[in-house]
Amino acid sequence: MQDKVEAQPILSMNSVEVLYDNVMLAIKGVSVQVPKGEMIALLGSNGAGKSTTLKAISGLLKAERGRVSRGEIKFEGTDITDMLAQNRVAQGICHVIEGRRVFEHLTPEENLTAAAPSGMSRSTLNVEKEKIYNYFPRLAERRNSLSGYLSGGEQQMLAIGRALVTQPKLLMLDEPSLGLAPFLVAEIFGILQKINKEDGMSVLLVEQNALAALEIVSEGYLIENGRVVMNGTAAALKANSDIQEFYLGAGEGTDFHNVKHYSRRKRWLS
Amino acid sequence: MDWIFLSELAINGALTGLLYSLFAIGLVLIYKASSVPNLAQAGLTMVGAYVVLALARDLGLPLWLAIPIGAVLMFGLGFGIERVALRRLAGRPVVMILMMTLGLDIFLRGTTLAIWGGTSRSMELGVSYEPLFLGDIFLSRIHVVGAAVAIALFVAFMLFFRTRTGIKLRAIADDYMASWSVGISVERGVGLSWALASVVAMAAGVIWGEIQGVDQALSLLLLKGLTVAVLGGLDSILGAVVAGILLGIIENVGADFLDPIVGGGSRELIVAAVLILTVMIRPHGLFGRHDIERV
Repeated sequence: MQDKVEAQPILSMNSVEVLYDNVMLAIKGVSVQVPKGEMIALLGSNGAGKSTTLKAISGLLKAERGRVSRGEIKFEGTDITDMLAQNRVAQGICHVIEGRRVFEHLTPEENLTAAAPSGMSRSTLNVEKEKIYNYFPRLAERRNSLSGYLSGGEQQMLAIGRALVTQPKLLMLDEPSLGLAPFLVAEIFGILQKINKEDGMSVLLVEQNALAALEIVSEGYLIENGRVVMNGTAAALKANSDIQEFYLGAGEGTDFHNVKHYSRRKRWLS
Repeated sequence: MDWIFLSELAINGALTGLLYSLFAIGLVLIYKASSVPNLAQAGLTMVGAYVVLALARDLGLPLWLAIPIGAVLMFGLGFGIERVALRRLAGRPVVMILMMTLGLDIFLRGTTLAIWGGTSRSMELGVSYEPLFLGDIFLSRIHVVGAAVAIALFVAFMLFFRTRTGIKLRAIADDYMASWSVGISVERGVGLSWALASVVAMAAGVIWGEIQGVDQALSLLLLKGLTVAVLGGLDSILGAVVAGILLGIIENVGADFLDPIVGGGSRELIVAAVLILTVMIRPHGLFGRHDIERV
Protein backbone atom coordinates (compact mmCIF):
# COMPACT_ATOMS: atom_id res chain seq x y z
CA MET A 1 0.00 0.00 0.00
CA GLN A 2 3.00 2.31 0.42
CA ASP A 3 4.33 1.83 -3.12
CA LYS A 4 3.84 5.50 -3.99
CA VAL A 5 4.87 6.95 -7.28
CA GLU A 6 8.17 8.67 -6.64
CA ALA A 7 8.48 11.97 -8.46
CA GLN A 8 8.92 15.61 -7.59
CA PRO A 9 5.43 16.58 -6.38
CA ILE A 10 3.87 19.56 -8.13
CA LEU A 11 1.63 20.02 -5.10
CA SER A 12 2.32 19.06 -1.56
CA MET A 13 -0.03 19.68 1.27
CA ASN A 14 1.25 19.02 4.76
CA SER A 15 -1.02 18.46 7.77
CA VAL A 16 -3.44 21.17 6.74
CA GLU A 17 -6.25 22.14 9.06
CA VAL A 18 -9.15 24.28 7.89
CA LEU A 19 -11.38 26.31 10.15
CA TYR A 20 -14.68 27.77 9.03
CA ASP A 21 -15.95 30.86 10.87
CA ASN A 22 -13.08 30.35 13.31
CA VAL A 23 -14.95 27.53 15.01
CA MET A 24 -15.75 24.64 12.73
CA LEU A 25 -12.84 22.36 12.00
CA ALA A 26 -13.56 20.93 8.56
CA ILE A 27 -10.32 19.09 7.85
CA LYS A 28 -7.96 17.95 10.55
CA GLY A 29 -4.45 17.59 9.27
CA VAL A 30 -4.71 16.43 5.69
CA SER A 31 -1.53 15.65 3.76
CA VAL A 32 -1.75 15.06 0.04
CA GLN A 33 0.98 14.92 -2.58
CA VAL A 34 0.30 15.27 -6.29
CA PRO A 35 3.31 14.08 -8.32
CA LYS A 36 3.93 16.05 -11.50
CA GLY A 37 1.97 14.79 -14.47
CA GLU A 38 -0.04 12.27 -12.44
CA MET A 39 -3.75 11.87 -11.87
CA ILE A 40 -4.72 11.55 -8.23
CA ALA A 41 -8.15 10.98 -6.72
CA LEU A 42 -9.56 12.07 -3.37
CA LEU A 43 -12.29 9.64 -2.39
CA GLY A 44 -14.70 9.63 0.47
CA SER A 45 -18.33 10.06 1.39
CA ASN A 46 -20.40 13.22 1.74
CA GLY A 47 -19.03 15.83 4.10
CA ALA A 48 -15.73 14.03 4.53
CA GLY A 49 -13.72 17.15 3.70
CA LYS A 50 -12.81 16.52 0.07
CA SER A 51 -14.20 19.79 -1.27
CA THR A 52 -12.68 21.72 1.61
CA THR A 53 -9.32 20.22 0.74
CA LEU A 54 -9.63 21.47 -2.83
CA LYS A 55 -10.75 24.91 -1.70
CA ALA A 56 -7.77 25.14 0.63
CA ILE A 57 -5.53 24.50 -2.37
CA SER A 58 -7.31 26.91 -4.73
CA GLY A 59 -7.81 29.67 -2.17
CA LEU A 60 -11.59 29.71 -2.49
CA LEU A 61 -11.99 29.11 1.25
CA LYS A 62 -11.85 32.82 1.88
CA ALA A 63 -15.12 33.37 0.05
CA GLU A 64 -16.79 31.02 2.53
CA ARG A 65 -15.15 32.52 5.58
CA GLY A 66 -12.80 29.60 5.98
CA ARG A 67 -9.05 29.68 6.49
CA VAL A 68 -6.09 27.36 6.76
CA SER A 69 -5.32 27.42 10.45
CA ARG A 70 -2.39 25.00 10.42
CA GLY A 71 -0.08 23.29 7.98
CA GLU A 72 1.25 24.49 4.66
CA ILE A 73 0.51 24.07 0.98
CA LYS A 74 3.34 24.17 -1.52
CA PHE A 75 2.95 24.43 -5.26
CA GLU A 76 6.10 23.82 -7.32
CA GLY A 77 8.10 24.47 -4.20
CA THR A 78 6.51 27.85 -3.36
CA ASP A 79 4.39 28.31 -0.29
CA ILE A 80 0.90 29.33 -1.45
CA THR A 81 -0.96 28.87 1.84
CA ASP A 82 -1.90 32.55 2.09
CA MET A 83 -1.89 33.53 -1.56
CA LEU A 84 -4.94 35.21 -3.17
CA ALA A 85 -7.07 32.89 -5.29
CA GLN A 86 -6.44 34.84 -8.49
CA ASN A 87 -2.67 34.63 -8.00
CA ARG A 88 -2.89 30.88 -7.55
CA VAL A 89 -4.70 30.65 -10.87
CA ALA A 90 -1.88 32.69 -12.42
CA GLN A 91 0.60 30.24 -10.86
CA GLY A 92 -1.18 27.39 -12.60
CA ILE A 93 -3.81 25.96 -10.26
CA CYS A 94 -7.36 25.87 -11.51
CA HIS A 95 -10.31 24.51 -9.59
CA VAL A 96 -13.45 23.31 -11.37
CA ILE A 97 -15.91 23.85 -8.56
CA GLU A 98 -18.72 21.54 -7.61
CA GLY A 99 -22.07 21.82 -9.37
CA ARG A 100 -20.72 23.01 -12.73
CA ARG A 101 -21.44 26.70 -12.10
CA VAL A 102 -20.96 27.96 -15.65
CA PHE A 103 -21.72 31.63 -16.28
CA GLU A 104 -25.33 30.97 -17.25
CA HIS A 105 -26.10 34.26 -18.93
CA LEU A 106 -23.00 34.10 -21.10
CA THR A 107 -22.49 31.92 -24.16
CA PRO A 108 -19.89 29.13 -24.03
CA GLU A 109 -17.68 31.31 -26.20
CA GLU A 110 -17.95 34.15 -23.66
CA ASN A 111 -17.44 31.75 -20.76
CA LEU A 112 -14.09 30.83 -22.25
CA THR A 113 -13.21 34.48 -22.90
CA ALA A 114 -14.09 35.43 -19.33
CA ALA A 115 -11.56 32.94 -17.98
CA ALA A 116 -8.71 34.15 -20.19
CA PRO A 117 -5.77 35.49 -18.17
CA SER A 118 -5.51 39.25 -18.65
CA GLY A 119 -2.12 38.99 -20.35
CA MET A 120 -3.23 36.44 -22.94
CA SER A 121 -3.20 37.72 -26.51
CA ARG A 122 -6.24 37.38 -28.71
CA SER A 123 -4.52 34.89 -31.02
CA THR A 124 -3.39 32.66 -28.14
CA LEU A 125 -6.92 32.78 -26.76
CA ASN A 126 -8.33 31.67 -30.10
CA VAL A 127 -5.85 28.79 -30.27
CA GLU A 128 -6.82 27.75 -26.75
CA LYS A 129 -10.51 27.93 -27.62
CA GLU A 130 -10.05 25.76 -30.70
CA LYS A 131 -8.14 23.24 -28.62
CA ILE A 132 -10.99 23.11 -26.13
CA TYR A 133 -13.61 22.80 -28.87
CA ASN A 134 -11.57 19.91 -30.22
CA TYR A 135 -11.69 18.16 -26.88
CA PHE A 136 -15.41 18.87 -26.55
CA PRO A 137 -17.01 19.00 -30.01
CA ARG A 138 -20.47 19.32 -28.41
CA LEU A 139 -19.46 22.73 -27.07
CA ALA A 140 -18.38 23.89 -30.50
CA GLU A 141 -21.87 23.19 -31.82
CA ARG A 142 -23.44 25.31 -29.12
CA ARG A 143 -20.78 27.97 -28.74
CA ASN A 144 -23.20 30.84 -29.27
CA SER A 145 -26.25 29.70 -27.30
CA LEU A 146 -26.84 30.70 -23.69
CA SER A 147 -24.86 28.44 -21.34
CA GLY A 148 -27.70 28.21 -18.86
CA TYR A 149 -29.65 26.18 -21.39
CA LEU A 150 -26.92 23.62 -22.08
CA SER A 151 -27.44 20.08 -20.81
CA GLY A 152 -25.74 19.00 -17.60
CA GLY A 153 -23.02 17.16 -19.47
CA GLU A 154 -22.34 20.09 -21.76
CA GLN A 155 -22.17 22.42 -18.78
CA GLN A 156 -19.63 20.16 -17.10
CA MET A 157 -17.59 20.14 -20.29
CA LEU A 158 -17.80 23.92 -20.43
CA ALA A 159 -16.72 24.20 -16.79
CA ILE A 160 -13.68 22.06 -17.58
CA GLY A 161 -12.99 23.97 -20.79
CA ARG A 162 -13.25 27.25 -18.92
CA ALA A 163 -10.64 26.02 -16.47
CA LEU A 164 -8.35 24.90 -19.31
CA VAL A 165 -8.30 28.44 -20.75
CA THR A 166 -6.33 29.51 -17.69
CA GLN A 167 -3.62 27.05 -18.86
CA PRO A 168 -3.31 25.26 -15.54
CA LYS A 169 -0.45 22.97 -14.56
CA LEU A 170 -2.69 21.41 -11.92
CA LEU A 171 -6.35 20.91 -12.72
CA MET A 172 -8.61 20.16 -9.77
CA LEU A 173 -12.11 18.87 -10.31
CA ASP A 174 -14.83 18.61 -7.68
CA GLU A 175 -17.24 15.79 -8.51
CA PRO A 176 -17.39 16.23 -12.28
CA SER A 177 -19.55 13.10 -12.54
CA LEU A 178 -22.29 14.42 -10.27
CA GLY A 179 -25.73 13.95 -11.78
CA LEU A 180 -24.46 12.80 -15.18
CA ALA A 181 -25.39 9.71 -17.14
CA PRO A 182 -22.70 6.97 -17.09
CA PHE A 183 -21.83 7.39 -20.78
CA LEU A 184 -21.19 11.10 -20.21
CA VAL A 185 -19.04 10.32 -17.18
CA ALA A 186 -17.04 7.95 -19.36
CA GLU A 187 -16.69 10.60 -22.07
CA ILE A 188 -15.56 13.31 -19.66
CA PHE A 189 -13.16 11.03 -17.80
CA GLY A 190 -11.75 9.86 -21.14
CA ILE A 191 -11.02 13.47 -22.10
CA LEU A 192 -9.43 14.15 -18.69
CA GLN A 193 -7.16 11.18 -19.27
CA LYS A 194 -6.30 12.46 -22.72
CA ILE A 195 -5.45 15.94 -21.43
CA ASN A 196 -3.38 14.38 -18.67
CA LYS A 197 -1.41 12.23 -21.12
CA GLU A 198 -1.04 14.67 -24.00
CA ASP A 199 -0.35 17.89 -22.12
CA GLY A 200 1.20 16.34 -19.05
CA MET A 201 -1.26 18.25 -16.90
CA SER A 202 -1.46 17.05 -13.31
CA VAL A 203 -4.99 16.31 -12.16
CA LEU A 204 -6.50 16.15 -8.70
CA LEU A 205 -9.94 14.60 -8.87
CA VAL A 206 -12.51 14.58 -6.09
CA GLU A 207 -15.08 11.87 -6.57
CA GLN A 208 -17.79 9.97 -4.80
CA ASN A 209 -17.98 7.73 -7.82
CA ALA A 210 -14.92 5.77 -6.72
CA LEU A 211 -15.47 3.05 -9.27
CA ALA A 212 -15.09 5.42 -12.21
CA ALA A 213 -12.33 7.45 -10.58
CA LEU A 214 -10.09 4.49 -9.72
CA GLU A 215 -10.17 3.44 -13.36
CA ILE A 216 -8.32 6.54 -14.53
CA VAL A 217 -6.11 7.70 -11.65
CA SER A 218 -2.76 6.30 -10.62
CA GLU A 219 -3.15 6.89 -6.91
CA GLY A 220 -5.92 7.66 -4.47
CA TYR A 221 -6.48 9.09 -1.03
CA LEU A 222 -9.44 8.13 1.08
CA ILE A 223 -10.72 10.95 3.28
CA GLU A 224 -13.18 10.45 6.12
CA ASN A 225 -14.16 12.88 8.86
CA GLY A 226 -11.56 15.39 7.75
CA ARG A 227 -8.63 12.97 7.84
CA VAL A 228 -6.76 10.90 5.30
CA VAL A 229 -7.47 7.35 6.39
CA MET A 230 -6.02 5.42 3.50
CA ASN A 231 -3.67 6.11 0.62
CA GLY A 232 -2.26 3.95 -2.13
CA THR A 233 -2.11 3.16 -5.80
CA ALA A 234 -5.37 2.75 -7.63
CA ALA A 235 -4.77 -0.99 -7.97
CA ALA A 236 -4.11 -1.40 -4.25
CA LEU A 237 -7.22 0.57 -3.32
CA LYS A 238 -9.37 -1.40 -5.72
CA ALA A 239 -8.11 -4.62 -4.16
CA ASN A 240 -8.83 -3.50 -0.62
CA SER A 241 -11.88 -5.28 0.73
CA ASP A 242 -13.11 -2.35 2.84
CA ILE A 243 -12.93 -0.01 -0.13
CA GLN A 244 -14.74 -2.61 -2.19
CA GLU A 245 -17.58 -2.83 0.23
CA PHE A 246 -18.06 0.79 1.20
CA TYR A 247 -17.06 2.69 -1.91
CA LEU A 248 -17.26 0.33 -4.84
CA GLY A 249 -20.55 -1.28 -3.86
CA ALA A 250 -19.21 -4.79 -4.17
CA GLY A 251 -19.98 -6.19 -0.75
CA GLU A 252 -19.62 -9.94 -0.59
CA GLY A 253 -22.51 -10.67 1.74
CA THR A 254 -25.99 -11.14 0.41
CA ASP A 255 -26.85 -13.07 3.52
CA PHE A 256 -29.22 -10.52 5.01
CA HIS A 257 -29.81 -12.63 8.03
CA ASN A 258 -26.28 -11.96 9.18
CA VAL A 259 -26.10 -8.33 8.15
CA LYS A 260 -27.92 -7.22 11.26
CA HIS A 261 -25.68 -9.04 13.68
CA TYR A 262 -22.35 -8.57 12.04
CA SER A 263 -22.80 -5.37 10.11
CA ARG A 264 -19.38 -4.18 9.08
CA ARG A 265 -18.31 -0.74 10.11
CA LYS A 266 -15.80 1.68 8.81
CA ARG A 267 -13.35 0.53 11.49
CA TRP A 268 -10.90 3.31 10.75
CA LEU A 269 -13.33 5.98 11.87
CA SER A 270 -12.83 5.54 15.59
CA MET B 1 -56.88 66.86 -30.54
CA ASP B 2 -53.89 69.09 -31.16
CA TRP B 3 -51.36 66.77 -32.78
CA ILE B 4 -48.52 69.25 -32.83
CA PHE B 5 -48.91 69.92 -29.14
CA LEU B 6 -49.13 66.22 -28.43
CA SER B 7 -45.98 65.43 -30.41
CA GLU B 8 -44.20 68.28 -28.70
CA LEU B 9 -45.16 66.76 -25.35
CA ALA B 10 -44.01 63.35 -26.52
CA ILE B 11 -40.67 64.51 -27.95
CA ASN B 12 -39.82 66.63 -24.94
CA GLY B 13 -40.90 63.74 -22.75
CA ALA B 14 -38.58 61.43 -24.65
CA LEU B 15 -35.68 63.86 -24.23
CA THR B 16 -36.31 64.18 -20.50
CA GLY B 17 -36.64 60.40 -20.41
CA LEU B 18 -33.19 60.01 -21.95
CA LEU B 19 -31.89 62.14 -19.08
CA TYR B 20 -33.46 59.64 -16.69
CA SER B 21 -31.67 56.97 -18.73
CA LEU B 22 -28.42 58.80 -18.09
CA PHE B 23 -29.01 58.24 -14.40
CA ALA B 24 -30.29 54.69 -14.88
CA ILE B 25 -27.24 53.61 -16.91
CA GLY B 26 -25.16 54.07 -13.75
CA LEU B 27 -27.50 51.76 -11.83
CA VAL B 28 -27.37 49.18 -14.60
CA LEU B 29 -23.55 49.24 -14.76
CA ILE B 30 -23.27 48.25 -11.13
CA TYR B 31 -26.08 45.73 -11.34
CA LYS B 32 -24.49 44.11 -14.38
CA ALA B 33 -21.22 43.59 -12.57
CA SER B 34 -22.36 42.68 -9.09
CA SER B 35 -26.10 41.98 -9.10
CA VAL B 36 -26.66 44.72 -6.54
CA PRO B 37 -29.09 47.60 -7.11
CA ASN B 38 -27.05 50.64 -6.15
CA LEU B 39 -29.14 53.01 -4.04
CA ALA B 40 -26.14 55.33 -3.69
CA GLN B 41 -26.38 56.41 -7.32
CA ALA B 42 -28.27 59.56 -6.27
CA GLY B 43 -25.57 60.46 -3.78
CA LEU B 44 -22.91 59.90 -6.43
CA THR B 45 -24.82 62.13 -8.85
CA MET B 46 -24.84 64.94 -6.32
CA VAL B 47 -21.18 64.51 -5.50
CA GLY B 48 -20.40 64.53 -9.22
CA ALA B 49 -22.28 67.77 -9.78
CA TYR B 50 -20.67 69.45 -6.77
CA VAL B 51 -17.17 68.29 -7.70
CA VAL B 52 -17.46 69.82 -11.17
CA LEU B 53 -18.95 72.94 -9.65
CA ALA B 54 -16.13 73.20 -7.13
CA LEU B 55 -13.49 72.78 -9.83
CA ALA B 56 -15.14 75.22 -12.24
CA ARG B 57 -16.50 77.89 -9.90
CA ASP B 58 -14.40 77.71 -6.74
CA LEU B 59 -11.06 76.93 -8.42
CA GLY B 60 -11.93 78.84 -11.58
CA LEU B 61 -10.96 76.10 -14.02
CA PRO B 62 -12.54 76.22 -17.49
CA LEU B 63 -15.34 73.69 -17.97
CA TRP B 64 -13.49 71.68 -20.61
CA LEU B 65 -10.85 71.00 -17.98
CA ALA B 66 -13.12 70.77 -14.92
CA ILE B 67 -15.26 68.00 -16.41
CA PRO B 68 -12.41 65.58 -17.29
CA ILE B 69 -10.70 66.21 -13.95
CA GLY B 70 -14.05 65.64 -12.24
CA ALA B 71 -14.42 62.38 -14.18
CA VAL B 72 -11.00 61.18 -12.99
CA LEU B 73 -11.84 62.08 -9.39
CA MET B 74 -15.18 60.29 -9.61
CA PHE B 75 -13.48 57.25 -11.15
CA GLY B 76 -11.16 57.14 -8.14
CA LEU B 77 -14.08 57.64 -5.75
CA GLY B 78 -15.85 54.61 -7.25
CA PHE B 79 -12.82 52.40 -6.73
CA GLY B 80 -12.41 53.83 -3.24
CA ILE B 81 -15.99 52.96 -2.29
CA GLU B 82 -15.47 49.34 -3.34
CA ARG B 83 -12.19 49.11 -1.44
CA VAL B 84 -13.42 50.65 1.79
CA ALA B 85 -17.09 49.77 2.02
CA LEU B 86 -17.88 46.82 -0.22
CA ARG B 87 -14.88 44.49 -0.32
CA ARG B 88 -15.55 43.03 3.09
CA LEU B 89 -19.15 42.38 2.10
CA ALA B 90 -18.33 40.29 -0.97
CA GLY B 91 -20.12 36.98 -0.70
CA ARG B 92 -22.55 38.24 1.96
CA PRO B 93 -26.30 38.29 1.31
CA VAL B 94 -27.36 40.90 -1.24
CA VAL B 95 -29.62 42.60 1.30
CA MET B 96 -26.54 43.53 3.37
CA ILE B 97 -24.93 45.15 0.35
CA LEU B 98 -28.18 46.89 -0.49
CA MET B 99 -28.29 48.38 3.00
CA MET B 100 -24.66 49.43 2.58
CA THR B 101 -25.50 51.32 -0.62
CA LEU B 102 -28.36 53.03 1.19
CA GLY B 103 -25.96 54.04 3.93
CA LEU B 104 -23.49 55.29 1.35
CA ASP B 105 -26.21 57.35 -0.31
CA ILE B 106 -27.08 59.09 2.94
CA PHE B 107 -23.38 59.57 3.68
CA LEU B 108 -22.59 61.09 0.27
CA ARG B 109 -25.58 63.41 0.38
CA GLY B 110 -24.72 64.46 3.91
CA THR B 111 -21.17 65.16 2.83
CA THR B 112 -22.25 67.49 0.03
CA LEU B 113 -24.59 69.26 2.43
CA ALA B 114 -21.81 69.66 5.00
CA ILE B 115 -19.23 70.94 2.52
CA TRP B 116 -21.24 73.03 0.11
CA GLY B 117 -24.37 73.89 2.10
CA GLY B 118 -27.98 73.66 1.10
CA THR B 119 -28.42 76.69 -1.18
CA SER B 120 -29.01 75.93 -4.81
CA ARG B 121 -26.15 76.83 -7.16
CA SER B 122 -26.28 77.00 -10.91
CA MET B 123 -24.02 74.97 -13.15
CA GLU B 124 -23.71 77.48 -16.04
CA LEU B 125 -22.55 75.13 -18.74
CA GLY B 126 -22.92 77.86 -21.32
CA VAL B 127 -25.65 76.07 -23.24
CA SER B 128 -27.97 78.77 -24.50
CA TYR B 129 -31.54 78.98 -23.24
CA GLU B 130 -32.71 79.88 -26.75
CA PRO B 131 -35.22 77.24 -27.79
CA LEU B 132 -34.53 74.96 -30.72
CA PHE B 133 -37.26 74.55 -33.30
CA LEU B 134 -37.94 71.26 -35.01
CA GLY B 135 -40.61 72.32 -37.49
CA ASP B 136 -43.26 73.75 -35.19
CA ILE B 137 -41.99 71.86 -32.20
CA PHE B 138 -40.18 73.65 -29.45
CA LEU B 139 -37.17 71.88 -27.85
CA SER B 140 -34.89 72.81 -24.99
CA ARG B 141 -31.21 72.86 -25.98
CA ILE B 142 -29.86 71.45 -22.73
CA HIS B 143 -32.25 68.53 -22.99
CA VAL B 144 -30.98 67.81 -26.49
CA VAL B 145 -27.38 67.95 -25.27
CA GLY B 146 -28.18 65.66 -22.34
CA ALA B 147 -29.98 63.18 -24.58
CA ALA B 148 -26.97 63.13 -26.90
CA VAL B 149 -24.68 62.40 -23.94
CA ALA B 150 -27.00 59.59 -22.83
CA ILE B 151 -26.97 58.02 -26.27
CA ALA B 152 -23.19 58.36 -26.59
CA LEU B 153 -22.72 56.62 -23.23
CA PHE B 154 -25.20 53.93 -24.27
CA VAL B 155 -23.20 53.15 -27.41
CA ALA B 156 -19.92 53.23 -25.53
CA PHE B 157 -21.12 50.79 -22.88
CA MET B 158 -22.78 48.46 -25.38
CA LEU B 159 -19.38 48.12 -27.03
CA PHE B 160 -17.61 47.90 -23.67
CA PHE B 161 -19.61 44.86 -22.55
CA ARG B 162 -18.40 42.98 -25.63
CA THR B 163 -14.75 43.51 -24.76
CA ARG B 164 -12.87 41.00 -22.65
CA THR B 165 -13.07 43.23 -19.57
CA GLY B 166 -16.79 43.73 -20.15
CA ILE B 167 -17.37 39.99 -20.46
CA LYS B 168 -15.49 39.45 -17.21
CA LEU B 169 -17.77 41.96 -15.47
CA ARG B 170 -20.83 40.09 -16.74
CA ALA B 171 -19.29 36.85 -15.53
CA ILE B 172 -18.83 38.34 -12.07
CA ALA B 173 -22.50 39.31 -11.99
CA ASP B 174 -23.42 35.71 -12.80
CA ASP B 175 -21.33 33.91 -10.21
CA TYR B 176 -18.73 35.33 -7.80
CA MET B 177 -17.42 31.94 -6.76
CA ALA B 178 -16.97 30.66 -10.30
CA SER B 179 -15.26 33.94 -11.20
CA TRP B 180 -12.74 33.54 -8.40
CA SER B 181 -12.17 29.95 -9.43
CA VAL B 182 -10.87 30.97 -12.87
CA GLY B 183 -8.76 33.80 -11.56
CA ILE B 184 -11.04 36.76 -12.24
CA SER B 185 -10.46 39.49 -9.68
CA VAL B 186 -14.01 40.01 -8.49
CA GLU B 187 -12.89 42.87 -6.27
CA ARG B 188 -11.28 44.77 -9.13
CA GLY B 189 -14.28 44.09 -11.39
CA VAL B 190 -16.78 45.42 -8.89
CA GLY B 191 -14.48 48.38 -8.25
CA LEU B 192 -14.36 49.12 -11.97
CA SER B 193 -18.13 49.00 -12.26
CA TRP B 194 -18.46 51.47 -9.38
CA ALA B 195 -15.83 53.69 -10.95
CA LEU B 196 -17.64 53.75 -14.30
CA ALA B 197 -21.00 54.28 -12.60
CA SER B 198 -19.53 57.21 -10.67
CA VAL B 199 -18.38 58.85 -13.89
CA VAL B 200 -21.83 58.32 -15.41
CA ALA B 201 -23.32 59.80 -12.23
CA MET B 202 -21.18 62.87 -12.72
CA ALA B 203 -22.45 63.26 -16.27
CA ALA B 204 -26.02 63.02 -15.01
CA GLY B 205 -25.25 65.44 -12.19
CA VAL B 206 -23.80 68.04 -14.53
CA ILE B 207 -26.71 67.89 -16.98
CA TRP B 208 -29.40 67.80 -14.32
CA GLY B 209 -27.55 70.46 -12.34
CA GLU B 210 -27.76 72.72 -15.38
CA ILE B 211 -31.49 72.05 -15.71
CA GLN B 212 -32.69 72.37 -12.12
CA GLY B 213 -29.73 73.80 -10.23
CA VAL B 214 -27.30 71.93 -8.01
CA ASP B 215 -28.82 71.21 -4.62
CA GLN B 216 -30.18 68.38 -2.49
CA ALA B 217 -33.20 68.02 -4.79
CA LEU B 218 -30.92 66.21 -7.29
CA SER B 219 -31.21 63.12 -5.13
CA LEU B 220 -34.92 62.91 -5.96
CA LEU B 221 -33.79 61.59 -9.34
CA LEU B 222 -33.33 58.23 -7.65
CA LEU B 223 -37.06 57.47 -7.87
CA LYS B 224 -37.21 58.12 -11.60
CA GLY B 225 -33.84 56.57 -12.37
CA LEU B 226 -34.72 53.44 -10.42
CA THR B 227 -38.07 53.21 -12.18
CA VAL B 228 -36.35 53.44 -15.55
CA ALA B 229 -33.77 50.83 -14.57
CA VAL B 230 -36.42 48.42 -13.28
CA LEU B 231 -38.69 48.95 -16.28
CA GLY B 232 -35.77 48.34 -18.63
CA GLY B 233 -34.70 45.27 -16.70
CA LEU B 234 -31.99 46.07 -14.16
CA ASP B 235 -29.12 44.59 -16.14
CA SER B 236 -29.87 45.90 -19.62
CA ILE B 237 -28.28 49.11 -20.92
CA LEU B 238 -30.53 49.01 -23.97
CA GLY B 239 -33.42 48.57 -21.54
CA ALA B 240 -32.38 51.66 -19.61
CA VAL B 241 -32.46 53.74 -22.78
CA VAL B 242 -35.75 52.38 -24.15
CA ALA B 243 -37.42 52.52 -20.74
CA GLY B 244 -36.17 56.07 -20.21
CA ILE B 245 -37.75 57.22 -23.46
CA LEU B 246 -40.97 55.35 -22.63
CA LEU B 247 -41.22 56.67 -19.09
CA GLY B 248 -40.49 60.22 -20.25
CA ILE B 249 -43.29 60.07 -22.82
CA ILE B 250 -45.79 58.39 -20.48
CA GLU B 251 -45.00 60.89 -17.76
CA ASN B 252 -45.18 64.00 -19.93
CA VAL B 253 -48.24 63.06 -21.95
CA GLY B 254 -49.99 61.41 -19.01
CA ALA B 255 -49.44 64.39 -16.75
CA ASP B 256 -50.90 66.68 -19.40
CA PHE B 257 -54.11 64.63 -19.39
CA LEU B 258 -54.29 63.95 -15.68
CA ASP B 259 -53.12 67.23 -14.16
CA PRO B 260 -56.27 69.21 -15.07
CA ILE B 261 -58.39 66.43 -13.59
CA VAL B 262 -56.58 65.87 -10.30
CA GLY B 263 -55.30 69.44 -10.03
CA GLY B 264 -51.58 68.82 -10.58
CA GLY B 265 -48.91 66.59 -9.08
CA SER B 266 -49.74 63.54 -11.15
CA ARG B 267 -46.15 63.10 -12.47
CA GLU B 268 -44.85 61.38 -9.38
CA LEU B 269 -47.96 59.23 -9.28
CA ILE B 270 -47.46 58.10 -12.86
CA VAL B 271 -43.82 57.21 -12.19
CA ALA B 272 -44.71 55.32 -9.03
CA ALA B 273 -47.49 53.49 -10.86
CA VAL B 274 -45.08 52.42 -13.60
CA LEU B 275 -42.61 51.13 -11.00
CA ILE B 276 -45.26 49.20 -9.09
CA LEU B 277 -46.89 47.75 -12.20
CA THR B 278 -43.53 46.67 -13.64
CA VAL B 279 -42.59 44.80 -10.50
CA MET B 280 -46.04 43.19 -10.38
CA ILE B 281 -46.43 42.25 -14.03
CA ARG B 282 -42.94 41.94 -15.46
CA PRO B 283 -40.36 41.77 -12.67
CA HIS B 284 -37.42 41.28 -15.04
CA GLY B 285 -38.43 44.37 -17.02
CA LEU B 286 -38.48 44.84 -20.76
CA PHE B 287 -35.03 43.49 -21.58
CA GLY B 288 -33.75 42.10 -18.27
CA ARG B 289 -32.24 38.66 -18.04
CA HIS B 290 -34.46 35.87 -16.83
CA ASP B 291 -33.30 33.52 -14.18
CA ILE B 292 -32.55 30.36 -16.06
CA GLU B 293 -34.18 27.29 -14.64
CA ARG B 294 -33.66 24.01 -16.36
CA VAL B 295 -36.18 21.29 -15.74
